[in-house]
Amino acid sequence: MNITRQGFLRKLLFAKNKQQNTLVCIFLRGGADTLNFVVPYGDDDYYRLRPSIHIAAPKNNKRESAVRLDDFYAFHPKLSPLYPLFKEGKLGIVQAVGSDNTSGSHFEAQDQMEHGSSQQQLIGSGWLGRHLRLHNNEHKKAISAVAMGTTIPESLRGAPNINVIQSLRDLKIQTASGNSQSARDAIAKMYGIQNSTLNQHGQDTLGLLQKIENLQKSEYHPENNADYPQNSFGAELREVARLIKGQLGLQVACIDLGGWDTHFFQGQESGLQAGNIDILAKGLAAFDADLHRYKSSVTTIVMTEFGRRVYENSSMGTDHGRAFTFFALGEKINGGKVIGKWPGLKNTNDEEGPGGLNVQYDYRSLLSEILRDILNNKQLAQIFPGFTPQKIGLTRR
Amino acid sequence: MNRRDFVKVIAGTLSLCGCNDVISAVSKQFGQDIPTTLSPAQQNVVDKDFHFLSRTTYGLWPGDLEEVKKIGRETWLEQQLQPQSINDTLCDLRARRFETIHHHFSTCYEYKKKTLRSEMVKHTLLRAIYSRRQLFEVMVGFWSDHFNIHIEKADCIYLKATDDREVIRKHALGNFRDLVRASAISPAMLVYLDGKSNQKQKPQDIPNENYARELLELHTLGVYGGYTQKDVFEVARALTGWRYHRRKRNVFFNAHLHDQGQKHILGHTLPANGGKEDLERVLDIVCHHPSTAAYICYKLAKRFVSPTPPKSLIASMSKVFTDTKGDIKAVLRHLFLSEEFYTPTFFAQKFKRPFHFIVSSLRFLAADTHARRPQINYLERMGQVPFQYPTPDGYPDEMQPWLGTLLWRWNFAHAVAANKISGTRIYLKKLIKSLQVNDKEDVKKVFAHCIGRLPTSQEQQIFSEYMEDKDMKRVTNQQELLGLILCSPAFQRY
Repeated sequence: MNITRQGFLRKLLFAKNKQQNTLVCIFLRGGADTLNFVVPYGDDDYYRLRPSIHIAAPKNNKRESAVRLDDFYAFHPKLSPLYPLFKEGKLGIVQAVGSDNTSGSHFEAQDQMEHGSSQQQLIGSGWLGRHLRLHNNEHKKAISAVAMGTTIPESLRGAPNINVIQSLRDLKIQTASGNSQSARDAIAKMYGIQNSTLNQHGQDTLGLLQKIENLQKSEYHPENNADYPQNSFGAELREVARLIKGQLGLQVACIDLGGWDTHFFQGQESGLQAGNIDILAKGLAAFDADLHRYKSSVTTIVMTEFGRRVYENSSMGTDHGRAFTFFALGEKINGGKVIGKWPGLKNTNDEEGPGGLNVQYDYRSLLSEILRDILNNKQLAQIFPGFTPQKIGLTRR
Repeated sequence: MNRRDFVKVIAGTLSLCGCNDVISAVSKQFGQDIPTTLSPAQQNVVDKDFHFLSRTTYGLWPGDLEEVKKIGRETWLEQQLQPQSINDTLCDLRARRFETIHHHFSTCYEYKKKTLRSEMVKHTLLRAIYSRRQLFEVMVGFWSDHFNIHIEKADCIYLKATDDREVIRKHALGNFRDLVRASAISPAMLVYLDGKSNQKQKPQDIPNENYARELLELHTLGVYGGYTQKDVFEVARALTGWRYHRRKRNVFFNAHLHDQGQKHILGHTLPANGGKEDLERVLDIVCHHPSTAAYICYKLAKRFVSPTPPKSLIASMSKVFTDTKGDIKAVLRHLFLSEEFYTPTFFAQKFKRPFHFIVSSLRFLAADTHARRPQINYLERMGQVPFQYPTPDGYPDEMQPWLGTLLWRWNFAHAVAANKISGTRIYLKKLIKSLQVNDKEDVKKVFAHCIGRLPTSQEQQIFSEYMEDKDMKRVTNQQELLGLILCSPAFQRY
């Protein structure tokens, strides 16, 4: 065999850089009131419009106080676990993101956002599905896309390969006798006879199953004192972290977190929404801590179908609105500041459909930057047909 | 009353009452069952007739091989090329029950999307499994990819059943130009590739090129077929003005939306004021272009012969295509009787896509299925639910894109073998009896039944090792062994 020094070095380098880029998409179902996540405490209108459900301005030395980000914004106190990530510049926040959907319907707005389309444009497949199909040099791996839960999210529709799992235990060969070992051995032998592309992939798949099984043999100990919340969201993040560490070629993982449709008694520093924010923030902080060794290859985004009305309703909740605050977490994210202008709480165009924060950035512009700069997919015109992304600067290039 | 008439009467009644169990029972009674004796291949290389059948069908139904051996490939092929001559009542019994596939597109708008989606998919799957007009069904699959329509785009879901019936199925074995013409003004295609937005009403209107581009690139000449971007633009101009009307239930040409100027397409001139005749002129030019003959024949040869089909075959097929002005039957007859088709190195070299894999498993086992949700779930997980491919190039024919879902093939194989898919049943005991499996040695007969040749010594050894410490009288062990055969690399190919 003839290996040049250069080739050898490149091989070494390649082996080191082989770490798969993974995108974790967290979808807050129900339309999250992100105005109470990243609180515009510098705007008096906020307090005027939300007399009973606002988050108080940050006060030093007070427990459960909002956490000051700058002279204008503060984190909801329950988001404080994410504050260190913000300070480090890993947590990116983009203000007033949304779609052009004015229907106010959860179903339509979610579908549109997951399909990556405009309001009248009906694209059936999901933006992640198209991304994975187009990224064909990488989608051969059996575990390239995982949706945590029981159904395929619309965003993954059209993907070449989707695993819907609740836990790693679901990824296995199930045979008639239940004892799959001898059947699996036989499959391994059958795919070991020749060295064709098909057989190679058969062996790769078996290798993945073996790895998944090994992952499950030992009890999983999150690293870095990561403390996942004791609920399904925490458990799902944990499983995704295991998959990433198992180096199984995971490209995309989707996790849903529900309960954001806060029409009634939304609460403030504590209460219904605060409980949800607590789960989200603790989960993300634990996930980040646990994956510190993989920080350069994992990017997490958090989105919702729409924000909520800027003013409270008569049942101390908020109704469906428009723009929301978008979060992205990762080393390649240009974090540590709130990107975008504050659109203000006046002129919210209630008469044209559900009012709310005016949309300043189309959500596809953000997704485009992530796809292009982090996942190296340049075929944006095919992922978001008919859409010209606006430059936002969410990613470090 | 003879048997055929009786079946027809029963079919009519049952399809109305729609009782799955009764349909299953009647189907078994009247021939859709496993023959009492089967004689699988007995040699070490894939049987020639098996090869022929595995390419002209979605997998051999028990008894198919014996029939071809009896009547000969040519006779069998002639029957298949005249699908109307083949009685398909038992398939109709299962597949005709879905109302929406028969409706005019305007009526489909009255149904829920979920119903339309589910009925179209079930209908396609059941026809592929049970139709005795197998070559026809295989060609329906081929053209459905060639003229791909993604039903989730805009109104396509209401229009695709009509497209399936009036374009794909009507012309699957007909004339190529007729097929392209039907597709060009099919409401589903007008929506899917934006033909309905292609217009020249005001002088500043620019045509929508979407359909024109795919017509040249994917449907006729092929991407290297020698057309220019100007040709795309000119074809788009020539096709301005075609619309469908939902309530009037028709497709029509609106002269006010048509570009009445002169057009230049691939060296031909379309005179000004051609009106709706422009469509006919465009179709004449593109369907009779030599690149089209070559491209369509290449695609057919790639699908039916080999991923890298011999040039000689493409050339001779193209000649038939050109001489017959695009007679699909003539081209297929030539293909399946050609010398190249029987090149032994091509045998068992094609990779079954998920749909084909699932359908062929069910056919080889003479499964009784009603294509319920659990069955469809497997297709979904393997990424090939009919009419769900987003881009106009259709589900890829190559192997590579499908290699990420082998795990779900294996799980399907074991689930179907163990009767663990709700709404789908196989009768393993009966199959084993017909194959005269008496001892462990005879696993080779089951293998040969599914693969068309005896297992190699290595394969045989793997099965022997598997059975070594197992009681093969136990049903679960038999099921698991059958699952393994369906999991094998050999069964992933055809």
